[in-house]
Amino acid sequence: MIAQQIINAISLGGVYALLALGLAIVFSIIGLINFAHGELMTATGYALLGSLLMGVPFPLAVIVAICCGGLAAMAMERVAFRPMRGASVTSLLLTSFAVSSLLKVLFQNGVSARPQTILMPDWMTSAVTIGDITLRVGPAISIAISLLALLGLELFLRRTVMGTAMRAASEDFAVVRLMGIPANRVIATAFFISGIFAALAALLWIANRASVDPLMGFTPVLKAFIAAVIGGLGSLPGAVVGGFLLGVTEVLLQAVLPPELAPYRDAIVLSAVILVLLIRPQGLIPARRVQRS
Amino acid sequence: MTGRKTLLGIGTVVAMIGFNTAAQAEEILIGVATAQTGGLAPFDQPSLKGFEMAIEELNAKGGLGGKYTAKLLIKDTRTDMAQTATVAQELVDAGVKIMITPCDADSTIAASQITAPLSIPTLTFCGTAPILTVAVPEHAYGTYPADNLAATAVADFALSEGKKTAYLLISPDAAYTANLPEYFAKVFEAKGGKIVGRGSFTMGQPDFSAEVTNIRGLAEKPDMIMTGAYEPDFPAFLQQLRAAGVDTPVYGADALGTPTIRDLGKLVDGVVYTASGYAEPGSKLASFDEAFTKYAGHAPESTYEVNGYEIGLILDEAVRVADSDDSAAISAAIKGLDHFEGITGEITYAGTTGMPARALALMRYENGEAKHIATLTPDAADVPAP
Repeated sequence: MIAQQIINAISLGGVYALLALGLAIVFSIIGLINFAHGELMTATGYALLGSLLMGVPFPLAVIVAICCGGLAAMAMERVAFRPMRGASVTSLLLTSFAVSSLLKVLFQNGVSARPQTILMPDWMTSAVTIGDITLRVGPAISIAISLLALLGLELFLRRTVMGTAMRAASEDFAVVRLMGIPANRVIATAFFISGIFAALAALLWIANRASVDPLMGFTPVLKAFIAAVIGGLGSLPGAVVGGFLLGVTEVLLQAVLPPELAPYRDAIVLSAVILVLLIRPQGLIPARRVQRS
Repeated sequence: MTGRKTLLGIGTVVAMIGFNTAAQAEEILIGVATAQTGGLAPFDQPSLKGFEMAIEELNAKGGLGGKYTAKLLIKDTRTDMAQTATVAQELVDAGVKIMITPCDADSTIAASQITAPLSIPTLTFCGTAPILTVAVPEHAYGTYPADNLAATAVADFALSEGKKTAYLLISPDAAYTANLPEYFAKVFEAKGGKIVGRGSFTMGQPDFSAEVTNIRGLAEKPDMIMTGAYEPDFPAFLQQLRAAGVDTPVYGADALGTPTIRDLGKLVDGVVYTASGYAEPGSKLASFDEAFTKYAGHAPESTYEVNGYEIGLILDEAVRVADSDDSAAISAAIKGLDHFEGITGEITYAGTTGMPARALALMRYENGEAKHIATLTPDAADVPAP
């Protein structure tokens, strides 16, 4: 039972890490906390649902959904955030809230207000028994995908020109532009990656929840924001650490708190966040350049 | 010149027609302050569709009580409590005589704070918390079977099936998710059942693995799990429960009777829930379903549509009894309704706090279909106090 709880904890932590990383990549480049990040998850969910309903085989539907997440993020940047380029952090933040609200209403009135059921293939929700321990396949897949995605991002940032440009941009965007790297391409790539990460998180989220609904993006983006803040806003390793820490804390508290204290779980988690920030105001692993103006 | 005269003539005729209509039919304004967007939309949207259908039909027959043409003023509350109060105030200012509120106790209570002092009868679409009509001194009415009634029916049924132990999954976040399992526990324990554990969740939480692992680890395996969780939490919980290899049957109430839950297919097999009615072939509800399909272009998703429709019938009857469009008189007439024949069965407000006494259908999902298993009218003495 303890082994299972630990796997549950790491699995949720992985999903939070993916989400926080998506937020952090965009923040590190343009200083925007994209609160419409959750709606990228919703869009991915509907893309998966639509593909499955049209009879697309499951693996292909997953690929379509992931691409949709990335493209939706790029479209979001092009339509809503590019015209706001150079605006203050507050204006960008408010724009992202507006995009989020608009998309929620569009999903609700355009698709359905009611959650739509998406059932993952049986093997994804099955369990294997090793000795005394029954391990669920879902959390294991979730951990594997999170780790692969993190590894992929690390390779991209270290080994490619665009990756290097993005790392440089997160430290000093002005200098990167002086070097002749087109700003639009760096920013679009950042959004594309953040969309892909949102899409991966969405698939794991949906596999766990069996449905997609217009408002499903709200909780994940909030968790991702908390994780990114604990880790240090704009710091990619920080986002990963923050995500895992938040997920693990949530699950373990849920597992050990007596029922009468369980409703206070979120309050306890958020108190711990305040404590972390009191001790390390810039987060656990602060970004090299803390705040863009 | 001629053109201008003709226009003048048409104008006069139009004015006269307008004047005549106003003089012939009396109009009654009904405020509909419900959530057409946000978290309550899946419940309020179908309810509104049913209600609109009833009002259209009644207007074609001369209006409420055969006399007052009903005009709906519909405003979206966006599942927001403050917005509900604002909208309710706007509608009251517009002169509504009757108010319809969202499928939720909290926002209904908020709206009732504005309507009650003016004696405007306020009916929630499908809010089921029995506290709803107690929190407001007067003029607030539920229409759907109340949670304490539903919980009693579920407990009676579970005991009759031989269930002896139950686990409760509770969320303190809403009246429904917090109280339904506890009402169940009161009846279940009073009649000899035993609660072997309680788990708690936050609405919208992504992961139920910790709760599920706790349930797996219970020293005494429960015969059933009772919960007020609904979509999208319920599918998440059930999916993770079954994935962990726990096959304990899960019981709930009206919020599980939706297409989203039904579409879970074999995952949802064995889940028991309550509904305000069951469309037996040849029944009134079956013909309603048919008429609704013709009206809306799709079959009803749940019993929320017929409940919305029944609110129209309740208002029609109340206005007929009151023989007036006066809010206080209509409210008094609703309060006196006794064994009123609706579509799903008899509805009684006389002698209640405002939550109707009515029969409940118990349903069970089998092979992805909702099957009717029993219709119960719980003994009033067994129903726990709100």
